[in-house]
Amino acid sequence: MTHNAVVVGGNRTPFAKAGGPLAQASNHDLLTAALDGLVARYGLAGTRIGEVAAGAVLKHPKDFNLTREAVLSSALDPSTPACDLQQACGTGLEATVYVANKIALGQIDSGIAGGTDSTSDAPITVSDPLRRALLAANAAKTAPQRLKALSRIRPAHLKPQAPSVTEPRTGLSMGEHQALTTERWGISREDQDEIAAASHHKLAAAWDDGFFDDLVTPYLGLARDAILRADTSVEKLAKLRPVFGGPGGTMTAGNSTALSDGAATSLLASEDWAREHHLPVLAKVVDAEVAAVDHPGGDDLLLGPVAAAGRMLARRGLTLDDFALIEIHEAFASTVLTTLEAWKSDEYCRSLGLDGALGTIDRSILNVTGSSLAAGHPFAATGARIVPTLAKLLHQRGPGSKGLISMCAAGGQGVVAILEAV
Amino acid sequence: MAGTEPARTVEHLSESPGMGAAFARALIPRRGDTARIPDRAVTIHGHRQDLARLAEYSRVCEFTLRHSVPATWIHVLTFPLHVHLLSDAESSVPLVGAVHVSNDMTMHRAVGADEALDLTVHLENLRPHRRGALVDLVGQAHADGELVWDGVSTYLSSSVSVPGDPEGRDRTPFEAGTPHGLWRLPADLGRRYRRASKDPNPIHTSRLAAKAFGFPRPIIHGMWTHARALAALEGRLADAFSVHVDFVKPILLPRTVGFTSTATERSLDVAVTSRDGATPFLLMRAKDGSP
Repeated sequence: MTHNAVVVGGNRTPFAKAGGPLAQASNHDLLTAALDGLVARYGLAGTRIGEVAAGAVLKHPKDFNLTREAVLSSALDPSTPACDLQQACGTGLEATVYVANKIALGQIDSGIAGGTDSTSDAPITVSDPLRRALLAANAAKTAPQRLKALSRIRPAHLKPQAPSVTEPRTGLSMGEHQALTTERWGISREDQDEIAAASHHKLAAAWDDGFFDDLVTPYLGLARDAILRADTSVEKLAKLRPVFGGPGGTMTAGNSTALSDGAATSLLASEDWAREHHLPVLAKVVDAEVAAVDHPGGDDLLLGPVAAAGRMLARRGLTLDDFALIEIHEAFASTVLTTLEAWKSDEYCRSLGLDGALGTIDRSILNVTGSSLAAGHPFAATGARIVPTLAKLLHQRGPGSKGLISMCAAGGQGVVAILEAV
Repeated sequence: MAGTEPARTVEHLSESPGMGAAFARALIPRRGDTARIPDRAVTIHGHRQDLARLAEYSRVCEFTLRHSVPATWIHVLTFPLHVHLLSDAESSVPLVGAVHVSNDMTMHRAVGADEALDLTVHLENLRPHRRGALVDLVGQAHADGELVWDGVSTYLSSSVSVPGDPEGRDRTPFEAGTPHGLWRLPADLGRRYRRASKDPNPIHTSRLAAKAFGFPRPIIHGMWTHARALAALEGRLADAFSVHVDFVKPILLPRTVGFTSTATERSLDVAVTSRDGATPFLLMRAKDGSP
């Protein structure tokens, strides 16, 4: 027996740039803040939820049970179980899929999906040789053995290792990868800056309309997304120097997402549970798919979602024309643009084993309340930002309205999902 | 191949010979000699692989530590035998200063880290080159009498000569292009690889020694670059495969280099290049199956 897994709503912290207003908050603090806001909004204090699934991309070893610990810090019933889940930038959406699947199968009747990341409080680790020497010293049975192990430590080993967003197999940062893709697909600087400016303008308009009033709870004195620049323009963005792709590159700090701090959560439930608890029923989770590309073999790192979308649409007998709204995560403005180009390309789609091009879309249905360029992108949180946002937008458009989410992730992966207003 | 070979005398060693003294001997200049190589083969029976060293080798070359060992690891195990033969009184080809120009290896099947290996190396095919002489160091690894790995390392020595006309050599084709991977090779990479490989050649670790051989800075071992390139293809090659590399240019340390791989119908081709993809340092072609 399967059940409708529906999105009840969501809550997130405002997002901020690394080193900004949320710099003092850890992943645990951020996730707890997002959970407590959700609990307050939907009256869940003391309620046992079926399961909470969330994660962080940059995670401290001490946070091995991050989500469960955040649940224990929150106002949820302490008997609420939790699990940590991680799929790079796809984490928040993958957590949604995980919870929705359990609800659909009847294993749980309510669940919370989320994600958090703090690039301000990123884990710093010791170097490999220092770690090996310390482990050997720890395992040593005699003092001379311990001394011998410690004598292998050299001054250079003491340098702390900051985490990097470099793909381990290629040595290229995500921006460097996307710069290759941008060049390969012939994406212009102007088009990228237009996407970036539009993202800020749409997000600012949504804030002004009060759209986020029931999606975001202020935290540590921050009430709005701190990266948002309502007054930016294509002209202002055009003045920025390229940061990826060399001196002739087209990708700037303006049309690439900033390293961010923040957390987001989404409340999901079976339709029956939501109605019994007199909670809103915004949209159901219809389907989802994950795909990956061979970026070590030279494929475009961030085009993983294209095959996922193609296979999912084919399975559902849907085309892009069936969607009222589309959300493409703005890792970079050029990710959005290359995804749109890839959807249009018969040749590329066939190379993925699809029957042909997915088609073109009307840009007016894309990221209508802005996306990651303006809001920021705390890696694991973004999926859990998009899901309730899109569910609310679809609900406003009326029952049956469908929305598509496309998210790229490190490791050449892509997560896509379909929501439909109830 | 074995059937057409002349019978060789075989020198049995009980363990891997140390390489330090051999390298010291090889530093003595022997310019202008007509090349001579020893005729015999050298063998170590029942070599037990050192797991801690294999782990260190895997870390420095970025292989996943698996039960099956990398092909280049078996080359490393045979390398002391190369040095032993080249530092022999019957050899006039000095190892230091000789340039490793190309290498071929075949894995006939997956080799476990716990397998005892019989390692054999001999020299053959001394032939003229326009800049000196080429010689092949031929290695084999047997497990329980079964040939599991063989390798041919071709060295160019410019300090000896062989009469005759140099043969034309086929270069692996190379096309400049933007690399889709970058490797940052740190200054101490030569020292780290030396610990795992035990190759004591000082041009990889000492600026002074590197200068003596005409390099402004130490250069990374060609076999590290080869191993790193093979590690980048892990999971894409069958248990049995053959691989050829050309060491086109040395890589000075530290340096960031580019990596490009191309899958063709018959092979996986790799180029390790300058960062901009214009200058090749190493070209590699790997094919599934043993020939």
